[in-house]
Amino acid sequence: MTSSPIVARELVRHFGTGDNIVKAVDGVDLEVRTGEIFGLLGPNGAGKSTIVRMLTTLLKPTAGSAHVAGFDVVKEADKVRRSIGVALQDAAIDPLMTGRELLNLQAVLYGLSKSAGRDRGDELLERVGLTAAAERRVGTYSGGMRRRLDLALSLVHEPTVLFLDEPTTGLDPMSRLTLWEEVRRLNQSGTTVLLTTQYLEEADQLADRIAIVDHGRIVRAGVPRDLKARVGSPTLFVSVDQSHVESARSTLSRFGELRPSAEGTLGVGLARGAEDVAAVVRAFDEAGIKVRHLELNEPSLDDVFAEATGHRLEGAQ
Amino acid sequence: MSAVVESRRHDADARSLEVMVALVRRSLLRVRRMPSAFIPSLIMPVFQLVAFSGAFGAAVRLLGIDPMNWYMPLNAIQGASFGALGVSFGLLNDMETGFFDRVLMAPARRSVIVFGSYAAAIARSVVPVTFVILVSFLGGLHTPGGPVAIAMVIVASVMVALSACGLALGLTFRMRNMGAATLTQFAIFFGIFLSTSQVPLSEMSGWLRACARVNPMTNILRFARQGFLGDITWAQTWGGLVAMVALLFVSTVFALTGLRRYDR
Repeated sequence: MTSSPIVARELVRHFGTGDNIVKAVDGVDLEVRTGEIFGLLGPNGAGKSTIVRMLTTLLKPTAGSAHVAGFDVVKEADKVRRSIGVALQDAAIDPLMTGRELLNLQAVLYGLSKSAGRDRGDELLERVGLTAAAERRVGTYSGGMRRRLDLALSLVHEPTVLFLDEPTTGLDPMSRLTLWEEVRRLNQSGTTVLLTTQYLEEADQLADRIAIVDHGRIVRAGVPRDLKARVGSPTLFVSVDQSHVESARSTLSRFGELRPSAEGTLGVGLARGAEDVAAVVRAFDEAGIKVRHLELNEPSLDDVFAEATGHRLEGAQ
Repeated sequence: MSAVVESRRHDADARSLEVMVALVRRSLLRVRRMPSAFIPSLIMPVFQLVAFSGAFGAAVRLLGIDPMNWYMPLNAIQGASFGALGVSFGLLNDMETGFFDRVLMAPARRSVIVFGSYAAAIARSVVPVTFVILVSFLGGLHTPGGPVAIAMVIVASVMVALSACGLALGLTFRMRNMGAATLTQFAIFFGIFLSTSQVPLSEMSGWLRACARVNPMTNILRFARQGFLGDITWAQTWGGLVAMVALLFVSTVFALTGLRRYDR
């Protein structure tokens, strides 16, 4: 067996029965190496959270197998739970309890003694910058504070593998940056991290490797830089009047392959890169097409996503 | 069994106990911080005690029974059951907020979730029972059976509360919505009112008597009431004991299998 901390083979999860079966995860192969940050990138409903719930023993797979920290997620669920830390999509925190009370409870759930739990709680509160708010009820915390507390809770028992399910969804940019820094720090101290995200920038900034998930399948996987390089040419996005869309499409197709783009915009992969921009503008001019907006983007993870799935990532940032 | 295996089992037992205590503490903490959710289960049985013994007490008074002595065990059991139901409301809330996932992910025995809820149910049910007993003493309750009568009503109340809690947990694990609590309330009401809750079996007739005869709650009420109506006898005790143990066993199996089903 491989020594990678997270390994999944042909992982499948179906919901419902008969004609109403939903294939939430449909044959996922995954291998996360020791000490890396691995990102699962995909839109809402792609199956990312279902993958995480199976890997963290909260859901049993319909088929396939998975090992986390060397243990089978079905047959050795208890050992898996001892080895992992998990912060799920919605910070699962009791608003009536204080930050410290929650940390103490978490410590008991993971078998720490009272004094060890208290010491660990103090250390983690300090680490996530919540010492001053420790005695306040969590219901009074901001979204960012709740996420940081959730992260602290997932670290109480010093796990070697950490799962973060959309850790920054709904956070303001400042809180997002703070959380990224904390995740990097954790990773540098040796924790393997698997995070799910629908934010391209998050995957790009944080993850050593990513897997793009769509309709329950992994459609691309690798190092973000390599994946972007594989897309090749940069994408030119053009907005024109509605009446000129068809002629603009035909004009653009002379410069490279058309690529998926947001509604009201046309995208083309420029075979010769920036050199072609002037020629495109001249061609539009000659065809009498008024350009409202024009933007040349180097290949991004959104392009990788579009190339792999045929559509752009919803809410891409 | 090897010494190592034995010591591991003791470790796991100790940890399970600690987790149970922590879950009970949290449940009581929630009561303290959100008393509005608990107060109705404290007030309702006392209100019913006053209402039943006052307004409907004439029926049993005709039979030479003191209404306060007749109704107190009933209202204590009812109050305890509804107090325990709060545990399943809490569980549902935890499922909705995702907190339950946190408990599920802990490397503790799964059964701790059920037995921790039972421990919380005991703590939550003892308060209304005590309140009902105190108010009934103020209302003229007397105990021909002595202090044992009080102990027996507490035992009956706690056992029925645990059974109600098990039923509520089993339904909550299966349904995962408010319907579970509503169904449990429905079952408690039916269980209580289709028994000898209002008048003795000898005064009942027709289908109601047939229901009350086979209803285990009739035996439990007989067990709980005997010390307030006369002497305590084994003849009136064993049926109640059997009914309480059987109800608790069935509801616990229902709760544990529900948890296993939830865990898939």
